[in-house]
Amino acid sequence: MKRQYAGTDPLAGDFYTRQFEKDRGEHTLVVNMGPQHPSTHGVLRIVIEIDGEYILRADPVLGYLHRMQEKMGEVQTWGQYIPNMGRVDYGHPLAWNWAYVGAVEKLMGIQVPERAEYIRVITCELNRLTSHLLWWGAYILDLGAFTPIMYSFDDREMLLDILQRPTASRLTYGYFRVGGVRKDLDDRCIEMIKAFIPRFRSRLPMYKDLVTDNIILRKRVEDIGIIDRDMCRRYGCSGPVLRGAGEPYDLRRCEPYSIYDRFDFEIPTEETACSAGRYLVRMAEMEQSLRIIEQAVEGLAHAEGGHIMPKAPKPSMKPPKGEAYFAVEGARGKVGVYAVSEGKKVPYRIKLRSPSYSNLHAFAEAAQGTLLADAVATLGSLDLIIPEIDR
Amino acid sequence: MGLKVLQGVETLCVARCDPAKTGQHWSVFLAPQAIVPAAAALSAAQYSLEDILALDTTDGLLVVYHFNAWRFDERIALKVLLPREDPAIPSITSVFQGAQWHERETRDFHGIVFEGHPNLIPLLMPAEDVDVHPLLKADKARRAIRDIMDAGEIVSCTGEIAALFAPPADTSADAARTDGGSKA
Repeated sequence: MKRQYAGTDPLAGDFYTRQFEKDRGEHTLVVNMGPQHPSTHGVLRIVIEIDGEYILRADPVLGYLHRMQEKMGEVQTWGQYIPNMGRVDYGHPLAWNWAYVGAVEKLMGIQVPERAEYIRVITCELNRLTSHLLWWGAYILDLGAFTPIMYSFDDREMLLDILQRPTASRLTYGYFRVGGVRKDLDDRCIEMIKAFIPRFRSRLPMYKDLVTDNIILRKRVEDIGIIDRDMCRRYGCSGPVLRGAGEPYDLRRCEPYSIYDRFDFEIPTEETACSAGRYLVRMAEMEQSLRIIEQAVEGLAHAEGGHIMPKAPKPSMKPPKGEAYFAVEGARGKVGVYAVSEGKKVPYRIKLRSPSYSNLHAFAEAAQGTLLADAVATLGSLDLIIPEIDR
Repeated sequence: MGLKVLQGVETLCVARCDPAKTGQHWSVFLAPQAIVPAAAALSAAQYSLEDILALDTTDGLLVVYHFNAWRFDERIALKVLLPREDPAIPSITSVFQGAQWHERETRDFHGIVFEGHPNLIPLLMPAEDVDVHPLLKADKARRAIRDIMDAGEIVSCTGEIAALFAPPADTSADAARTDGGSKA
């Protein structure tokens, strides 16, 4: 397909800038935010047209971290693809692990042992906490306060030590297997989790006093970056962005998977639809994750079965022909994997549906008419992980 | 009972899927010109767009749209089969703005042209590789639709789509008959 792209002056910026400048108004300035801007947390680039301090138009330019994860799925065996899932989203990789093995298990009609389900819930929720802590520290850092990231990484370090024991890695987990998980949680690990819960619970009120209730933070985030319910639907936003707009949509409840129906927890929502709403939802979610972990650790003690099913499929497994969609609730929203099998060792097609992708797309509309300085506060509140967007 | 939300939209095939096996509740085949009315009907019923992808098959390029409702657990897959020579389909960006990136991505990966898209330029692939479509399969690796998915529990179906899922018995039977004929 050959098409004519805009390009009046070959020296005026690159392809995307020229494309963007086509609709540029008079007396305005086109600036690039990124791809090396610290507040974009990776290599996201946003072309912005500004009039004074106000944003008229914004257009995210993606692809700087594109690795063609979906093509990689078509050249490796089903089992070999699991480590890729740790690298799609470094913030909450276990959600991606889960979405992928869940889709394969659907194709193969596998029932996972009860103990494995508990271990999945515990590790996935611990990983959600590390993700939210990473976001929290980095977001406050974006807004100009340095200290909170030290506190959050102090807690996160403990979580990484816990997760390191069963997963043998600290960031890019490839822990789940089709039919269970790689390794059981040992006694020391359970002890560490039990010690962590009361400690972290005592830290959360401090975070609230220190940061959440701080008037300087409130002034920066309240009524900034409005993404309301209808926008969420049009763009397909999910996770804390959607719950921050008042819709109690959480896949752990709305599309129940695994054993989440056994736990007593709430779905925090905020009606404000602004950055502060999304912030408060994530802070409340951390408490709910602790509740789930607490109940799951209790349940794990008398769960049946092993950490993986007997005679679990080998990496060279051949799922029968068919299509399967499996979605889980990641830290950023709906993490979905659509797998198509032709009955061979290698997948026919793997489609990765990432939540940040849709959440960032809504930013372009939300940023219109806001101050340039507020764009940073809005971007940070979306909790973007760029490798997940570019895949 | 059919799929109520798509009443009034011309469908080629409506089939109920087993969510425990496929994660989808409905699989609906549409003609290309029916995709915008279908998206509008789903939008009016408060469905949200999950993703758009394409599958390269010997029958052509199959574009799949996933829609999901928030208040109840239902996932609908809309499927449109396009000819390989001229894979063009109307864009649904006028209904779901979030489709813009999904459509640009599908153009990058499979070369599908979304007519009426406001800005169909490369999204994830580099701008200079505008004609490189990495997910198109080699001729040898390509499979027929019937080899990669099940039809599901069919509610209504046109012969055209039913033939896609019918076992390829017809051709082998023909071949056997001609073989028999030549022997005789």
